Formats: sequence, structure tokens, C-alpha cells
Amino acid sequence: MPQAPNTEGLDEHLKDVIQALHSAVNWAMPHLNDPKIVDKAIQDCKEILDVVMEGNISEWLK
Amino acid sequence: MFKDKIELKDFEKMDPEYKDLLGRVLTIQADCEIGGPHLYVEDILPNAPTKVDQLIVARTAAEEVDHYRKMARILGDIGVDVSYVLSWPNQKRYVEAFHGKITTWEDFAVFGLLIDRVGRYQLEEYIDCTYAPLDRILPDVLREEEGHLDYGTNKTAEMAAKGGESKERAQNAINYWYVKGLDMFGRSESKRSERYMYWGLKRRTNAQAREEYRKEVNALIEKMGLEIPDPNKGRLYL
Repeated sequence: MPQAPNTEGLDEHLKDVIQALHSAVNWAMPHLNDPKIVDKAIQDCKEILDVVMEGNISEWLK
Repeated sequence: MFKDKIELKDFEKMDPEYKDLLGRVLTIQADCEIGGPHLYVEDILPNAPTKVDQLIVARTAAEEVDHYRKMARILGDIGVDVSYVLSWPNQKRYVEAFHGKITTWEDFAVFGLLIDRVGRYQLEEYIDCTYAPLDRILPDVLREEEGHLDYGTNKTAEMAAKGGESKERAQNAINYWYVKGLDMFGRSESKRSERYMYWGLKRRTNAQAREEYRKEVNALIEKMGLEIPDPNKGRLYL
């Protein structure tokens, strides 16, 4: 059975994206008293997730 | 009943019905996994009540994207491309519960309580299933899904316990999502459901799973002091 196109590339790209999201959340959680850190993490997560939702795979896998 | 354990290398030799059913059910699963973040990230991530809640929404979305990734990988390996669902508008999603948009905190909480719980039921169908690559990813996915529905359950219970307008908002959200959750199990008389069981890809009929779910959520709703909605009002599938 031939693998679907972009299977490997999409898998690797999404792994990186998920890692970036977890890193942002894990960095902010112990710094809840520092609004700068928390707000930056939330903003980063929103920007990353917005790109995921756009689903522009050809752009991601260039 | 088919009981063999199928690895990717064996998939090519499988009956066409098995291939079709596995591709079909996992495509819908992948669509539901990414469908959640599409419902709530835009409005709930920036507007959740506290910074901790905002971070938990982000982490929940990250885990759902990861569940999508795992399903997409299994599908990609058997030649099924589901990358198109990443950018689908909500109205195109396979499951009706994912067609709208979540714009209020109570809807996000109740979505966790009721719809993520359906997600757990759906994932439980694959425990010890005949497709080994799917069976292997389940423990982590189920553990994370359990976290999402626990969070939704706790937040809904908090709103109900406050009483007044807060409780009323929680009740309205339950009234909206309850029937959508029941519908997500599909038709009770589904012939396809029997074929999934024959091939060892599901463990329960749609009707059995729905009944177990109904009992579980009814007990939770009652415990919160909220009313159980009419299970037949507004249903698409019986």
C-alpha cells in the first residue's frame, strides 16, 4: 500500500508545532505572576494555532 | 468474528471491506480531533476567564492537534490523505456537533463535559482492536482526552454550584450539547456498526455505546443539580 503524499512531512511538521505549543504553555505555567511572560505565551500559542487552522500544507512543507 | 492483529505490512492483504471501514472510521476520527480546536481557539483562547484557563485552552488544542497528527499518520501509512480536513470550514465537518462555533465559556466547559466524553467513548471502541498501529496510540490519546473532559466537567460543576445566572447559562449549554452528543453515536440500526464489530474495529453497537454514555452523563448532570434535557428533542439520529 503506497503511503499518501506528505505523510512523513506533515507528521514531522506537526510534531514541531505541538512541541512549540507545549513549550510555550510549560514556560508560562510557573510564571503566572508575570503577566509579560504569560501574555507572550498565550499570544504565541494563538499565532501558532491560527497557522495550523489555516492548513496551508504546501507552504509548511516547502 | 475477525480477531487477528493486523500490522501495517499485512494491511495490503486485508479484505477490501476491512480497508474501507478502517479508512472511513479514522478519517471521521481525525476530522473530529481537529474539529475541536476549529470550534474554540478563535474566541475562547483570547477570552477564557483567567490566564490559567487560557493556557489550559492552548494545551487542550495542542493535544487535539496531536491526536489529529496520530490519526493522520496511521491513515497516511495506508494511503489515505486527510490533510484536507485541517483547513475545512466547520460547516463541512463529518459530524454535526462540529459545525458551529464556540463563543462562550459555558459552551466550552460543557463541550468538554459532553462532547469530549463522546470522544472518549469513540476512542474506547478501538481498545484491543484488530489494527495494531491504532491500538498502540490509544493509551496516551485516551489519557489526554480524559483530562479534557475532567476539566470541562469541573468547570461546568463550578458554574452550576454558583447558582443564579451562572447556573442558568450552564443549563442552556447542556440543553444545546446534550442531543448533539447523543447524535454523535450514529443510527441505532446501523448495519455498518455490525460490520465494524465483525472486523474487530469496534466493541459496541451504536445503541449500546449511546446508552452507556446517556447513563453516565445523566448521573453527572443530576449531581450538579441541573436538569437532564429531553433525549429525543432535536435529535437527528435515533
